[in-house]
Amino acid sequence: MINPQHQIMDALDVETFFVCDNEQQGRNLMIDMLKSWGFTDVDIVFAQHVGPGTRIRGRAYAYRPADKYAWLLREAAKEAE
Amino acid sequence: MKKVVVLAPIDPVHDIGLKMIGRGLVEAGHEILLLQPDLKPDEIIEMIFSREKVDILLLSRTLGYGVGELLARFIDLTDAAGLRSKIKIGIGGMAIRPELAAELGFDAGFGPGTTVEEVICFVEGREYRPDPFRSKKSKIDMTANYDYQYLNSSIGEKLGRISEMIIDWAKNKTSPGVKRGILRDELWDVERWRQRLGNGDLYNYYPELCSEIPQKYYASGELHPQTRRFTIEEARGLEKYLEETKARMSVLKLQHTRKKPLVFNQYGTGCPFMDIGHILASEAWGADGVVHFDPSWGARTEGFLDGFLTHQEDGTVITPANLNRIHNSLEKSTLWQIRAHRGLNTPETVVLAGKIGADLTKINICYGSLGAGTDPERMTIDGYHSILFAQKYNMPFDVVTNEELAGVPAYKAFAGMLIVSDLAVRLGARPILQPLFAYSPEVMIHEYMEDNFIDFNAGKIFALRNIINAPIWPGAPIGFLTHTEDRVQSATTTALHACLAMSLEVDAISIASTDEAYSGGPISVPAKIDTLRAVQDSFRFFGKAGIHPTDQADKYAEQIISGVEETLENVLAAGDFVTAIHKGVLGSREEGAYPGRAGKDTVTTK
Repeated sequence: MINPQHQIMDALDVETFFVCDNEQQGRNLMIDMLKSWGFTDVDIVFAQHVGPGTRIRGRAYAYRPADKYAWLLREAAKEAE
Repeated sequence: MKKVVVLAPIDPVHDIGLKMIGRGLVEAGHEILLLQPDLKPDEIIEMIFSREKVDILLLSRTLGYGVGELLARFIDLTDAAGLRSKIKIGIGGMAIRPELAAELGFDAGFGPGTTVEEVICFVEGREYRPDPFRSKKSKIDMTANYDYQYLNSSIGEKLGRISEMIIDWAKNKTSPGVKRGILRDELWDVERWRQRLGNGDLYNYYPELCSEIPQKYYASGELHPQTRRFTIEEARGLEKYLEETKARMSVLKLQHTRKKPLVFNQYGTGCPFMDIGHILASEAWGADGVVHFDPSWGARTEGFLDGFLTHQEDGTVITPANLNRIHNSLEKSTLWQIRAHRGLNTPETVVLAGKIGADLTKINICYGSLGAGTDPERMTIDGYHSILFAQKYNMPFDVVTNEELAGVPAYKAFAGMLIVSDLAVRLGARPILQPLFAYSPEVMIHEYMEDNFIDFNAGKIFALRNIINAPIWPGAPIGFLTHTEDRVQSATTTALHACLAMSLEVDAISIASTDEAYSGGPISVPAKIDTLRAVQDSFRFFGKAGIHPTDQADKYAEQIISGVEETLENVLAAGDFVTAIHKGVLGSREEGAYPGRAGKDTVTTK
C-alpha cells in the first residue's frame, strides 16, 4: 500500500479558519495540529487574525530539496522488480 | 456500437451538464432520452422499464444536501428492481465525488471538471485517456517580428555612440570568466560528452582559471558543502518517473484566443530532480517557458563544478550533467531560459546553455554591476563576450532592469537596459527588453501608483515602444513587491499584472508563484500551479478585450523617455561606460545601487 505522505511532491499546505483570540494563538494551533499529524518540518505561510478568528495556511514539508524522495525511489524500486 | 442512454437529472432544475453530455452522445452516434428534472427515483426506474432497451443510465446531481442518502436509496431501488445487472449506472454533477459514487455502488462517478469525452468513454466502455494534444504548442521566437529600429532617433544616436565606446574599450581586454567561456566554447564537444566520451582537453586548462571551490573539486573531488551527488537508485527512479509521466503528459495553452504573452515561470529548488517535478507540473498547467535559477554563490565563484549534483538550498547548481538532465525532461514546446546575467560565470553560462540546448539566456551588464555584486569593469567585459556567445549560439536574451528594486529610478534602469540592447544589436545578437512591472521604491516614494497599478507600468511599455521596435518581456516576476503571503492575494495580483501585460500586447511575461512573498522554505509545486491557474482564468475572462490605462500613462512615458535621454547624455559626458557606472550615472549609491566588488581587478589586457 502506498503511503500517501510519500507521494507528496514537496509540501502539504493546510488552510483553515481557527476560532481563536489572536494570531499567535492561531499560529500555535496550526503548528500543533501539523505536528500531531506526524510532520516535523512545519511552518506558517500565512496568518491573518480579524474579529472572530484566524485565517491561516500552514505548511509541512514532506521533502526539502536534496532529500531522498520516496515518490522517486518507489519508481526505482518498481524498475528493479 | 450504438448505445441507448437515459439521462436523468435528480435536481429540481439543474440539467445543463446532462444536456451538454446528451449532445455529445448524440454526436458520437448514440441514442439518448433526456428525462425532465426532479423525477423521483421510482419514476425514473419506471421510465427505464417502459423502454424496450436501455444500456446506460446517467444521473446528475448538483445540489449537495442529502446527496449520500438520496443516491444510496436510488441504488437500493435499482437493485430491488433487478436493474443493476442489466444496465450500467453513472452519476455526475457538482455534488458528486468519484469516491462517493464507488462507495455507493455506481459504475462511475463524474465530479466537477468532467469532460464530455470522459462520459462518452464510459458509455462506450473505453478507457478514458486525456487528449495528449490538449493543446498543440510549439516554440515561438519572440524576437522574430522586430527590426530594432529606433523611433526616437536622438536616443538611438546616443546609444550608438555609447556602444562604440564600449566596443572600443573591450577590444584588448579579457578576464578569467571570458577565458573559461572560450575554453568551454572551443574545447568541449557536447555530443562526445553525451556519448560518455569525456571532456576532451577542457579540464587540462580549466581548473587554473577557477576559484577555490571548483579547484578543490577538480583536484580532489571535494564538493561544495551544500551539495551531494545523486545515487544510482535516484537516477534510475528519475528515468522511470519521466518515462511514466511523459506517457500521460499534455500541455495547456493559457492565452485563450490570443497568441501573446508567452508565460514563463522559474525553477531552481536546488535539486534538479525536484526541478523536473516542478517543470512537468508547470508545463501541464500551461507554462510556455521555464527559467533556470542557480545559487547566489554560483555567481560569485569563478568556474563551475561538474557532475550530477543536488543542492540543499535555493538555486540549482549549474553543471553540464544537471542542465542536460533538465533539458531532456522538457516538453518539445517548452522554451528554456538559463540565466547568465549577473556573476563571474556569465560567458561560460551562455556557452553551456547554447551547447546543451537552451532557447534563451539573460544578460545585463548594468544590473550585474549595480544590483548583483559584480565589479563593473569585470561585468562589462564578461557581458560583452557573453553577448557574442549568445549571438554565436543563436540565443535571444532578455536584459533585466532589476536594479529598480534597489531604488534606481526606472528611467536610469531603462537607459542601462537600452545600452546593453544597442550593444547587442550591433554585435548581431537579439536582445529582449525586460522592464519590471513592480511596486518599486521609486514608485512608492513618488506615489506613482497611489491610484492604480496600471498607469506607471503601462507608461514603461509606451516609453519603450516610443524608443525602439524591440520585443518586450516584463518580469521578473510581474507584480514584484505587490505579493503577500496570502495565497489568494498573491495569485490575484499576478493574474491582474498578467492581464495588464496581455492588454499591452507584450511578447512574454515571467510570473511568480503564490510563495513569492514567503521566505520560510522552498517554493512548493501547488504554489506554482496557483498562479498559472489564476492567469489562465484571467486570460479567459478578458479574451481579446483588455485593460485601458488612463492619460496619466502617457505622461509617465514622456517622463521616462526624457529621463533616459538625459541619462545617456550623462554616460557620454563621463567619457567611459565603466566610469559612468562607478559615478552612479546609471544608478547611484543614494538610490540604493552599489557597484559590485566580485571579480575586482581581474580584467587584464591581452
